[in-house]
Amino acid sequence: MERSVEISHLSKSYNGQSVVNDISFTISKGEVFGLIGPNGAGKTTIIRMLLDIIKPDSGQIQILNNTLSGELKNKIGYLPEDRGLYKKLTVMETLLYLGSLKNMRSKDRASKFLDKMGMLPHKDKKISELSKGMQQKIQLIAALIHDPEFVILDEPFSGLDPVNMKLVKDLIIELGDQGKTILISTHMMDQVERMCDRIFMINKGKGVLYGSVDEIRSRYGKNTILLDFEGELKNIPGIRKMNNSGNYAELILEQSADPQEVLKTLAAMVRVNKFEISMPSLNEIFISVVEGT
Amino acid sequence: MRKWKTIAKHEYLTNIKRKEFLFVTFGIPLFFFATMALSFLFMGVGTPEPVFKIGYIDNTGSFGNSNFTLYSDEEMARIDLLENNLTHYFIIPENYTATGRILIYSSQKNFADNFKIEDQIRTFLMANLLKNEPPEIIERINRPIISEYFTLNDKGLKNEENGISILIVPIVFSLLFTLSIFTSSGFLLQGVVEEKENRIIEVILSSVSHKELLQGKIIGLGALGLTQIVIWLLVSGSLILINPVVLSLVFSQIHISITMLILAMVYFVLGYLIFASIMAGVGAVATTSREGQQIAGIFSLAGVFPLMFAQFIISTPNEVLAKALSIFPLTSPTAMIMRLSVTDVPFLELLVSIILLAVSAYLIMELSVRIFRASLLMYGKKPTIQELIKYVREG
Repeated sequence: MERSVEISHLSKSYNGQSVVNDISFTISKGEVFGLIGPNGAGKTTIIRMLLDIIKPDSGQIQILNNTLSGELKNKIGYLPEDRGLYKKLTVMETLLYLGSLKNMRSKDRASKFLDKMGMLPHKDKKISELSKGMQQKIQLIAALIHDPEFVILDEPFSGLDPVNMKLVKDLIIELGDQGKTILISTHMMDQVERMCDRIFMINKGKGVLYGSVDEIRSRYGKNTILLDFEGELKNIPGIRKMNNSGNYAELILEQSADPQEVLKTLAAMVRVNKFEISMPSLNEIFISVVEGT
Repeated sequence: MRKWKTIAKHEYLTNIKRKEFLFVTFGIPLFFFATMALSFLFMGVGTPEPVFKIGYIDNTGSFGNSNFTLYSDEEMARIDLLENNLTHYFIIPENYTATGRILIYSSQKNFADNFKIEDQIRTFLMANLLKNEPPEIIERINRPIISEYFTLNDKGLKNEENGISILIVPIVFSLLFTLSIFTSSGFLLQGVVEEKENRIIEVILSSVSHKELLQGKIIGLGALGLTQIVIWLLVSGSLILINPVVLSLVFSQIHISITMLILAMVYFVLGYLIFASIMAGVGAVATTSREGQQIAGIFSLAGVFPLMFAQFIISTPNEVLAKALSIFPLTSPTAMIMRLSVTDVPFLELLVSIILLAVSAYLIMELSVRIFRASLLMYGKKPTIQELIKYVREG
């Protein structure tokens, strides 16, 4: 498989404190790749090194089979975690300037994207007049306007309302269908587990899990019960851990427990609307990995 | 288009519309000219000359023949003074020739009048003391020197300007010069810190290199500074053409040669480059624009240093202080312009000063790019000096 990104033995420390510690992974062409981990794990630092914004202390990075150059930067789209735009420029001016920095200054493309995101009526407004969600859409457009081969999205869902969240998800899926290589960095693991082909999980600067989502989840076995219920849950034998959200719960089984027995106990205790034996969520896997180490 | 050009164009076009730029470009020179014109206006017209009625009592018996009223009795003079028939009277004592004492009485205390009164009395006394001399001698004794200055060297003879122009030209020129350098490099600092604060810098750096970004900014804002200077030159040029009386008085005092103009441009560009590079470095290190301005203040102080010592540089342009300031890179642009407008600076000194300025501008720019690259995204934390040194080495 053709590789879009190859990172090997990447390390970076600030003031003697290791932020990224010997990280290696590859992203294949056309893949939707998740870089996941809690806040402060080192995700953004890896991305900045990937883009040559900061220098790694050691390790190599290859993008599209090359070391990063100005020419190559034109093929990369980047939505940073920290969102900012020039407040005094208009929407169109912003997109034209940021586009021209990628050698793609096109009013047509900007208008097309604005239309798609429902922002066309705002094209002559100043950025400072836009709501946060709107600004975020402008940034997303700026990251995509030059039709990049490789798209890096750092926390693309943060601060979005459900409507815009869907808009962004659809856009990512569309990009994936177009064969773009996409790197999504996020701490919202449930968001990426349905979208990503493969993931790299990082905690405190160190890689903890790496592989396809399905493979990782099945590695942890079918030990999770997803439950929709009415009533009150307490003390269920055979359950190691419970994430209870009121009328929805994730129950982690003990190694030896029989799901059928648990169902019986549950049925006696609450009204069961849905009962599903499943692989654990990435969230759960992550927590157990972090707690286990 | 090369990317630094895109950035330069963007910086130029967005900053030229800024209120601060328009204010400095049009407001401040207007203020200058207004103040200068006003002071010339007042100098020319002045307040109406007060009319003095002066009496005197001559106890020597040898002073006479004047516009002053001679009283034989002091009591009479005193009454006339109190009744406002006189504004002043004075007494020439018997022993005047030996002591020079003159007692002057007036009904009102007024310092400004004292000089004029004294002037009139002096003329009167002189005329009497020298009454046997011809009038030209009296006139010469009154004004023994009317000066004109020349410099004579291997380039020939040059008539030196005199009086007010010797102060106005270098001071106004270097003031505008410094103003323009600081406006542009200040915009640079603000721009870098702003982009850091609103985090758009990450998007830009995902498209261009650190060096391209800094170069683009420095060149774009430098062009802005040049525009400002050109506007000033055009405005002053057209004012001379319109030639209103008062302004022509101001401009008749200003003579700028082509060589001087070229040197001024060289110093402007290099001076701007050095301050812009410093501001870029400061912008990279500073976490907020307020902090940036505080750090930048230290360097700006070095820039205005020659202005604070303008008096010394202009009065002794070939002494150690003036020479040192015109060679040290941060102060040389302004100091050298001041010196050039009042004296002939040896070619070697000029050369050393320009080379030193150019080399340090280049070095500081390289240094700033390295610091910029290394410390740019350490949000909220200012690097220590040791870290800065480390960055510079690694870069």
